[in-house]
Amino acid sequence: MRASASVVLSLLACAFLRSSALHADVVAIVSAKSPVIALTQSQIADIFLAKVARFPEGDKAVPLDQPEGSRERDEFYAKVAGKTAAQMKAHWSKIIFTGRGQPPVQAATDTEVRKRVGENPSVIGYIERTMVDASVRVLFSTEAPPR
Amino acid sequence: MPCRLALVAFSILAAGASVSRADDTEKITFKFQAYGTLGLVHSSENQADFVGSLLIGHGAGHTHEWSPDVDSRLGAQLTATFGPRISAVVQVVTEQGADGSYTPQMEWANIKVQPTPDFSVRFGRIVLPAFIVSEYRKVGYAVPWVRPPTELYSVIPITTNDGMDASYRVAAGNFSSTIQANYGQANVKFPLGTAKARESWGLTNTIERGAASAHFTYQRTKLSVDTINTLFDAFRQFGPQGVAIAEKFDTDGRPDTFIGVGVAYDVKDWFVNAEWGASNTRSVVGDRRAWYVTGGYRIATVTPYLTYSTIASDPKVSDPGLTVALYPPALAGAIAALNAGLNQSLASKPVQSTISLGMRWDFRKNFDFKLQCAHSRVGRGSRGTLTNTQPGFKTGGSYNLVSAAVDFVF
Repeated sequence: MRASASVVLSLLACAFLRSSALHADVVAIVSAKSPVIALTQSQIADIFLAKVARFPEGDKAVPLDQPEGSRERDEFYAKVAGKTAAQMKAHWSKIIFTGRGQPPVQAATDTEVRKRVGENPSVIGYIERTMVDASVRVLFSTEAPPR
Repeated sequence: MPCRLALVAFSILAAGASVSRADDTEKITFKFQAYGTLGLVHSSENQADFVGSLLIGHGAGHTHEWSPDVDSRLGAQLTATFGPRISAVVQVVTEQGADGSYTPQMEWANIKVQPTPDFSVRFGRIVLPAFIVSEYRKVGYAVPWVRPPTELYSVIPITTNDGMDASYRVAAGNFSSTIQANYGQANVKFPLGTAKARESWGLTNTIERGAASAHFTYQRTKLSVDTINTLFDAFRQFGPQGVAIAEKFDTDGRPDTFIGVGVAYDVKDWFVNAEWGASNTRSVVGDRRAWYVTGGYRIATVTPYLTYSTIASDPKVSDPGLTVALYPPALAGAIAALNAGLNQSLASKPVQSTISLGMRWDFRKNFDFKLQCAHSRVGRGSRGTLTNTQPGFKTGGSYNLVSAAVDFVF
């Protein structure tokens, strides 16, 4: 009885994930050389919203963005920070126009993000899951949030 | 003066910047960014002006039935980054000034030195961090409303501070706490004179945890207002009683304080902000208590919001002034004029509550459109936050506002 219930539940979960899989599966990544093994969704959000400037272990964290309007970027901020592109624009307007900071540097493509993340343990970025290779470590996926 | 200093330092840094290391994060970059608002306000009270900020010359109601001059402005900013530790910012804002003209003003001009990612010191013209949205109160796109609630934000209309501030951020668990200390001065023109804030200092603490944040501030300054000084210098000519009145009410060099507390919660679909502030001036300006609570709900690109805001002032709205019988009859006319001036100043303390309903529509990238309707009730004997009151104005009434605005950022 319990086994069949869990089968039904997993089928339901699968169906739910399928229906939301119209979006890209975007993953947050750091360099394979980075000491950072895992980050929670809110820790990643804090780095990309410039609320913290370091990884929890204390090393400097440098976020790297994808271009405005890209599918990866919209998906990433929707899932990680719960914010639309317009809300992100408003968020950065608050920081920019007091001279407190500037939004993350942008890389043009998944490949460029992967390259710059792979080369520098301080950098944290996000790319399509299918673009992941051995140079980077996946911390978080927008399709299956951990825990 | 600190402005010019900042510009000189800016040029020196620009000239010497080629020596910085050629790491990919340590390039010299210049960024030009801009924001602005095109606004239109209508007030049902045609015997006074609604102005939003006490620093502008005229507004909606008496001067214009529909005023574009309350919320419209253009801000342009140049940011230079010299590697990860040093940056400089210059922001010029063009908006209606105290004389009613659109003369560009230097909003910020400062250099930031950031020895570590969590510690920074700024020099030059910087923000006066009295409120939650002080840093971006002029950036319409960054705030949910057409303008920050007038009741609270009129308590400290000054936005800038010429001096320095230091900011230190500590993270513990999911909490992040930023402590900021500021010191400086400001000269501010308003329609009835010039205010000078001297030896201003303050402490601010912002605590954030995920979508929630809390803001605490304490600010202290020595304020003097030239027109008020002139009035009480005249009182001082009238012997011990005149001097006593001047000592009680003048603004010269007395320490004024402001305490502010704010909380904000902003999750995916909705937000709620509440903020409270109290100023104590020990002068004719008096004391203020103001607060607001606001909330909004996001439905795709449309965000309706509701705000209640209120301001109360200390009850000292009149004073007997000089006793005519103590002076020669020839001075009676002058005494009456001085007493009238004193009582006019005391009576201008705002008591007002406003409920406003509005909506923000993010209709295209980098633009929003806002529509806001408000109903204000003015306290008995008060003119609320209205200015330019005309002979036909009746205190203690109520008025309605309709505001529309397009905000943009680039």
